[in-house]
Amino acid sequence: MKIVLDHIMPVPLASIQHSAESIWGNFVELNDREKILLNASSGKGKSTFTLTTIGLRNDYKGKITYNGEDIRTFTPDDWAKIRQDKIAVVFQDLQLFPNLTVAENLLLKNSLNHVYSEKELIHLLERLEIDNKWTQSCGLLSMGQQQRVAIIRALCQPFELILLDEPFSHLDEENTQRCIAMINERCNELNAGFVLTSLGDTHQFNYDKELKL
Amino acid sequence: MLNKLLFKNQDLKQLVIAVIGAFLGITFLITSIHYLIKVNEFGKGSEILGPNTVIVQKKVSNSTSLNMTKTDFSENEIKKYKEMPFILDVKPVTSNNFDVSFETADPMVPRFRTDVFIQTVDPKFLDVKSKKWHWKEGDKFVPIIMPREFLVMLNTFMSAQDIPQISDELAKDINFKFTLKNDTGKEWVDARIIGFTNEVSSILVPESFMEYGNLKYTTGKEKKITQIMIEGKESEFGLVEEMLNEYGLETKASQMIVGRLKSVVGTLFLVVLGISIIAVFVSGLVLIQYMQLLMSRNAYEVRTLLRIGFPPKDIIKSFFTYFVKIFGIVAALGLGTFFIFKFFLDAMFESGGLYIDTQISLTAIVTLVFSYVLFGFASYRTAKKGIFRQY
Repeated sequence: MKIVLDHIMPVPLASIQHSAESIWGNFVELNDREKILLNASSGKGKSTFTLTTIGLRNDYKGKITYNGEDIRTFTPDDWAKIRQDKIAVVFQDLQLFPNLTVAENLLLKNSLNHVYSEKELIHLLERLEIDNKWTQSCGLLSMGQQQRVAIIRALCQPFELILLDEPFSHLDEENTQRCIAMINERCNELNAGFVLTSLGDTHQFNYDKELKL
Repeated sequence: MLNKLLFKNQDLKQLVIAVIGAFLGITFLITSIHYLIKVNEFGKGSEILGPNTVIVQKKVSNSTSLNMTKTDFSENEIKKYKEMPFILDVKPVTSNNFDVSFETADPMVPRFRTDVFIQTVDPKFLDVKSKKWHWKEGDKFVPIIMPREFLVMLNTFMSAQDIPQISDELAKDINFKFTLKNDTGKEWVDARIIGFTNEVSSILVPESFMEYGNLKYTTGKEKKITQIMIEGKESEFGLVEEMLNEYGLETKASQMIVGRLKSVVGTLFLVVLGISIIAVFVSGLVLIQYMQLLMSRNAYEVRTLLRIGFPPKDIIKSFFTYFVKIFGIVAALGLGTFFIFKFFLDAMFESGGLYIDTQISLTAIVTLVFSYVLFGFASYRTAKKGIFRQY
């Protein structure tokens, strides 16, 4: 999937001075299978980028296209389809259901596409060392544990691009490496790309491209 | 799992109150509609006049006997009655304007002859189901509807002649004949009884026969309207009665008693119906409001589901199905309770002498289905609006 950000300027960020290399106000292409790092300090609009690109914010000037189609023309059903099998997201605020268990959170998302079996989901949790939390409510987990659940949930679908909004902010280096390896593995499996937003840390990964805000 | 997520966080107290309100409303709605219809149908088919219909004439007083006031109805008077809001229709009762006599013409029955007075009414007012109720020139016999008093009189006559008395059904097999005549001609026409009535005091014949006699054997005298038929609106018979008193009109007491009884019971059920409609409406509204509350309590869950790719129609369906199921249970419970009520109420009416039809009223069931569909529609609209608000 080719995504083009054609001179996008989010309204809340319009009054801020952006650098010449910033994606805001410039023409930016996110190409198929590209693994991109979006590096910026706080308040520059990393989450705004994620939410705008996935169609959850409309307060911007310019045009965003998916394979040449303006995303403003998409209907709620179109967005449901895109979020189901084209673009996966790990939100900065995770967007888990705190009253549901880890199992329920994962199985609910998995019920849309039936990508994994229950056993495979437990195995993914095991790789991130939280398989013992399977029956525990998400609301009772630490932020780091919740981040790992959110990452696995985002992988429970087919996708061409995965947007990761500061997904490792509460993880130690060891767990970050485990997560990034898992994400990379899944992207290779699906011939997909990712955009990872970060506060400056590259997480020792070789990206195809680095964007700035 | 979607249901667990969306319906776990509930204020059950409010739901229970809404459900109880809807249950009571539905129960009384079906009950009142059923009995309102049954009470209005009471007496229908057992008599020849349609429901809420009476034949009236002017009261005969000393002044009318002395020709100081008239006993016939003018066109203006009929028009005035027709314009009254509680009256559906007024039509004159047509009488014969020719000499006519009636006699038995059957070898099994002794000869019995008398001059008679025949009448006809607009078929709209009649509740005669017999296919025989028509006549045209050349037909084998004229169908007639007899006052029941006539059969009593005939049986008295038979008894005096030492002949066995006859039943209703047997009387319908006896051959009779009319003799129509005027100064220039005479004609015999065979007649057969097809029914009896307690409501009319003269022999009723089809309109076409009356027109035939009045045209061919007319006496040439001015034709006066001395009786009219009045059809009142359902449950407003009290107003018809008031109007009769006000204008010095009278009718058979039995007709008025049935009308009055139906009017009183009908009004009672109408009041219950009104309250029930309000109850169903309010409880439906409370259920819908409860749905809105539930959606706003679960705004985060709905929003997140949409963000992770759940189609809006799946979430709408979850809310819609949940509330339609609740209302379905309420409707089924209401229907069940109505059957229990009906069992006791039918027995009460019967012991009170009001033999109403015990078959379930289709209108009551249709109303229940209509309420259900309406609620379903409102639920769907509310769910759709609530979900798209989170978009």
